[in-house]
Amino acid sequence: MAKKLSKVIIYVLLSVGAITMLVPFIWMVSTSLKTGPETIKVPPIWIPKVLQWGNYIKAWNAAPFAQYFINSVVVTVVTTVGQLFTSILAAFAFSRLQFYGKNLLFMIFLGTMMIPGEMLIIPNFVTLSKLGMIDHYAALIVPWLASFFTVFTLRQTFQATPDQIYYAAKIDGASDWKYLWTVLVPMSKSTITAVTVLAVIGSWNSFMWPLIATNSENMRTLPVGLQAFTTDSGTTYELLMAASTFVIIPMVILYMFLQKYIIAGISKAGLKG
Amino acid sequence: MRSNHITQYLVSRVRICYHDDGDFFDGNEGHQTILKERTGLKVTFKDVTLSYDGKIDTLKHLNFEIPDGSLVSLLGPSGGGKTTTLNLISGLLPATSGHIYFGDEDVTKKDALARKVGMVFQNYSLYPHLSVRDNIAFPLKMQHVSRKERYAKAEELAKLVHVDDQLDKKPGELSGGQQQRVAIARALAKSPSLLLLDEPLSNLDARLRIEMRQEIRRIQRETGVTTIFVTHDQDEALHISDNIMVLSFGKIQQFSAPDDLYERPSNLFVAKFIGEPVINTLPAETLKADLQGHVPDEIFAKAVTAGLRSEALVPFDNGQGILTTFHATLAYKQKYGREATAALNYNGQTLLSTEMAGLPADQKEGDFFITKAGFFLFDEAGALIFGGEAHDQ
Ligand SMILES: Nc1ncnc2c1ncn2[C@@H]1O[C@H](COP(=O)(O)OP(=O)(O)O)[C@@H](O)[C@H]1O
Ligand SMILES: [Mg+2]
Repeated sequence: MAKKLSKVIIYVLLSVGAITMLVPFIWMVSTSLKTGPETIKVPPIWIPKVLQWGNYIKAWNAAPFAQYFINSVVVTVVTTVGQLFTSILAAFAFSRLQFYGKNLLFMIFLGTMMIPGEMLIIPNFVTLSKLGMIDHYAALIVPWLASFFTVFTLRQTFQATPDQIYYAAKIDGASDWKYLWTVLVPMSKSTITAVTVLAVIGSWNSFMWPLIATNSENMRTLPVGLQAFTTDSGTTYELLMAASTFVIIPMVILYMFLQKYIIAGISKAGLKG
Repeated sequence: MRSNHITQYLVSRVRICYHDDGDFFDGNEGHQTILKERTGLKVTFKDVTLSYDGKIDTLKHLNFEIPDGSLVSLLGPSGGGKTTTLNLISGLLPATSGHIYFGDEDVTKKDALARKVGMVFQNYSLYPHLSVRDNIAFPLKMQHVSRKERYAKAEELAKLVHVDDQLDKKPGELSGGQQQRVAIARALAKSPSLLLLDEPLSNLDARLRIEMRQEIRRIQRETGVTTIFVTHDQDEALHISDNIMVLSFGKIQQFSAPDDLYERPSNLFVAKFIGEPVINTLPAETLKADLQGHVPDEIFAKAVTAGLRSEALVPFDNGQGILTTFHATLAYKQKYGREATAALNYNGQTLLSTEMAGLPADQKEGDFFITKAGFFLFDEAGALIFGGEAHDQ
């Protein structure tokens, strides 16, 4: 009886959670298929009378979204790959190598995690403009090539790997470099997948920094491009939502694709015996 | 085509050897393609000390030489320093002081990567993300051996250790015994000149354990690889080794042939550690009257402890080399099949004998004999001062 009740409670809570997450998403898709007047109707309507598929074409043509899309892809891919590369190396150093000042350095880096991102916008802008990088891909990529959050997360996983595996690799003729890439990284697949997803989403969705660091139209990324629908005369919600939908879809697909790996990674990890 | 033929040939060979007593050697070179002919390495320790924390010496001034091509067991109680010694040989641990030589080469300063030994870890340490095939082939991959070649070798080695039906599984899907065998195959993959095994059979069931130790012995003989085998199981050590090094408290207690260990223990620790049932020990003083005239007085004066193997206490003098006689009462007798153990009460001490099968069931006391073999006297420091000479019988 009590078991049944707790099961009911769990399902209710999960449903509430799922609905809370889904409603804005459904609202976005629904609005993207409405006519202008329908978007501001009270009470709100969920399913438009006639589905306005044309909104998507209008939205796509309202601004150079193809260019934005390319920019977003380039920035996200380079940022993610670069960030993973530097973080994996740093995490390995912090977890396995012995060097002077290791703990102090780690503490300092840990301290940087306490600084809110907004505080870094102005110093970063000043630095990058002095380097002449503003309004280039470099401005959108370079500041994010290192992430201590990623380093920290990976270090925790690397440190949990048994020392014996490292010694076995040494005996088998693997240098530190080979051990890292042929043993440690594949063994940490689930954590790496998780930080990759976070890095991709963070980079793809970032708005404030690309807005500040780019001026020209052809350097804009997708989230910044969404501004095109907000003008002095108001916001065209149906087009904004249509554009938002196609901005988000790659992330949804990516998540569905990687979900399999995340689950597989977690269930397969671990040594027996 | 050809390699396929060889593989099939090997399978049949391996099976044949397997039912053999491990003493298989007929000069046929076919199966040697698996295990390239290699000469072993001589390993020498000169005054090697190791301290983990800089305060306590875990290993104290070790000096020994392991001849090339031999199989030496490191035997000792848990915590005796066996794994530590092995890690010093493999280069995973740097020596705190002293020198280590492979052959004539001083490798003290070289790390594990440079020393190139094969090793089986106590907890197998297989790579969990790799299949059995890839685990065995990993050392070859590190040597840039082509994929085809290393997989062929991995399959041959898998057959050798009987895991060839598990090649596509991950280590997590194998039993402890299977993982252990995969670890042995991986250690052999690069045909090392020195093979280190840290309690490689501890997780196998009794039968497999005996099969595997014969297998290891056979592989060792065929390849000539110098092998150092760590175990805490004396029976295993006695069966497999050319020589046994007893390690305890970070010191070598004795390093000698298996028989010597039993027949001539160099100290009380070894005498007690080796042998089943455990050797009878009693204060030397209790035996004083019965040893008078049989043990030189100046030696007896230094003796503190006497050790008597249970088979050294016999009911009859059959010419097996008797040291002395003594009178004792029989506390109890138990028969197990052909064997019988009896407890003798002697001067307030209980002595266990395994030789009393021929006594009448109702005998309560009598005069018994102590044979020369299996009787030892130790001084205050525990060193052997009497007994253990070569006996004809
Ligand atoms: N990494 C280590 N750090 C500190 N002490 C250790 C370490 N490894 C082993 N020891 C100590 O060294 C001694 C010998 O251990 P070990 O060589 O593992 O013994 P064995 O393999 O014979 O059981 C033990 O007292 C053990 O506690
Ligand atoms: Mg050990």
